[in-house]
Amino acid sequence: MLANLMKYEIKGTARLFIPLYLALLLFALLNRIINPFGMIESSENFNLQVMFSIISITVYFILIVGIFVMTLIIMIQRFYKNLLGDEGYLMFTLPVKSWQHIVSKLLVSMLWTILSFIMAICSILILVDSDNLFKEIRQLISRFTDIFGSAGFFTLPYYALLSLTTGILMIYAAIALGHLFSKHKLMASFGMYCVLYVIYQVVMVLFILVFGKKIFTPVLSSPIPTPSDINTLVFSFSIPTILIMAANFILTNYILQKKLNLE
Amino acid sequence: MSNILECKNVTKVFGAKAALRDVTLNIPRGKIVGLLGPNASGKSTFIKLCNDLLTPTSGEILIDGKKPGVDTKKIVSYLPERNYLNDWMRVSDIIGLFRDFYTDFNEEKAYDMLKRLDINPKDKLKTMSKGTKEKVQLILVMSREAQLYMLDEPIGGVDPAARDYILDTILSNYNENATIIISTHLISDIEKILDEVVFIKEGKIVLTKTVDEIREESGKSVDSLFREVFKC
Amino acid sequence: MPWELKSDRPIYSQLIEQIELRICSGVYPLGSKLPSVRDLAQEAAVNPNTMQRALAKLEEDGLLYTNRTSGRFVTEDVNMIKQVKNRLAKEHVQVFLKKMTELGFDYEEILSIITTIAEEMKE
Repeated sequence: MLANLMKYEIKGTARLFIPLYLALLLFALLNRIINPFGMIESSENFNLQVMFSIISITVYFILIVGIFVMTLIIMIQRFYKNLLGDEGYLMFTLPVKSWQHIVSKLLVSMLWTILSFIMAICSILILVDSDNLFKEIRQLISRFTDIFGSAGFFTLPYYALLSLTTGILMIYAAIALGHLFSKHKLMASFGMYCVLYVIYQVVMVLFILVFGKKIFTPVLSSPIPTPSDINTLVFSFSIPTILIMAANFILTNYILQKKLNLE
Repeated sequence: MSNILECKNVTKVFGAKAALRDVTLNIPRGKIVGLLGPNASGKSTFIKLCNDLLTPTSGEILIDGKKPGVDTKKIVSYLPERNYLNDWMRVSDIIGLFRDFYTDFNEEKAYDMLKRLDINPKDKLKTMSKGTKEKVQLILVMSREAQLYMLDEPIGGVDPAARDYILDTILSNYNENATIIISTHLISDIEKILDEVVFIKEGKIVLTKTVDEIREESGKSVDSLFREVFKC
Repeated sequence: MPWELKSDRPIYSQLIEQIELRICSGVYPLGSKLPSVRDLAQEAAVNPNTMQRALAKLEEDGLLYTNRTSGRFVTEDVNMIKQVKNRLAKEHVQVFLKKMTELGFDYEEILSIITTIAEEMKE
């Protein structure tokens, strides 16, 4: 059933993302071909070609920003409209558990967020001179391994995914809490997000106050911290994040199960 | 288990207002039951509670002996008063969704009914009129071979000709062991097809009788009795 | 023949009357098979359970009989149908006579009115 939910969630969102991705790649390619930066540098006065180049670059940047804004908006809108709007009458009478609704939406949102990053990177690869870029990437990776060691290839994606999950679940929890208000539900959701975010920060600060000495001492005491020290630090910080993530999930599930009140 | 639905002292409170007060009701299998009451009398609240869209403040609801949840959703086919169809799907997509989620969904039946109503399965829901969308929803709901159908105001928004078609669809598509609960305030159109009626007023059940009992005892139609009971 | 159901009397007894009428007038001939409960209910736009009850009553009265394997049939007993016809005729005439008496006609006058009107209708 979870697979079925995800299938329809992907169906419902792909029709919005795929055209955007295609547009982004297309404009990256277009910019590569007409080489607007070169065009602007080489032309002596303002002419039609320059104007065209500027427009082309602008559209590309709007698309990049737009894709990330869209990812966020669709994430919110799918949860709000599909579960808590009129479509909720269908979704919540399907024979599935409420946690499956949350997980299916979460996983699909994560999928699109990651894909949006990949698409942005691809478009940059298309846009710029790849020889130079690869050289710089290689340098970046070697600096990365200096700091984190090869374990960093696990710890950093792990922390990134964890933060992403927590971030999305916090948005869901805020929308679910906002749904409990009888009026101005979207405003209430926004307010609830601020509250949840503050709570998250407070938990983090408390965590540092209580365990900080233990965690930071080995990192700070040595002049050059070893990769394993850094990785331990990242792992330690993931503990309060996991707690917050679980709390947001449980809260959202409780509201959907027991406090649901569709208009 | 002869009752498909049993409610024991169910109360639902919203804030300070009680939408349902101490409702106790047993509904047997194989009946068509009319849940009749004016607007805001608690009909929809009752149906939502049975579908797990709301949780009772106190009391218990049992469907086929089970509390509302995944197991009861498999055997209850619910038509809400709202239009729950999104606008980007085609009719055939939403039929696919029902097939994927409900094991009792009869796809062939759904396509048959669409054909009879001249609705093209390739049409997008976005382009359809409100009335057509309501018909599509009814087709989806009645194409399930469920044990309990709960229809919330199924004839509210349609013209009299479509009303007859809808009643005909309901009569010809439910199986004899299934129970249908129809909530409505348009009684005269519907009373001929009901076994029993439940009058609900301000969140309380005020009368439960068969249609023929009412006619025999009072010499009145259910519709005129209703007008008397709910006189303002 | 359309099903005419009034809203102030029990549906069940009206269905019995309507089916009796159909049998007497030959819509359902002697010994013929009746449509299924479901089809009849749909035709009359009534609840199948109510139709079922009406048919069961008619069966009890002997006007219908059920063959376990092939369905429900109209009786082949001519006398029984005659009886029903007579009963229905009696009921109609009683109602008619009551109304005519209320209008102030006596027995002789009523008979002559009937003959006159019957003659007129023949032409």
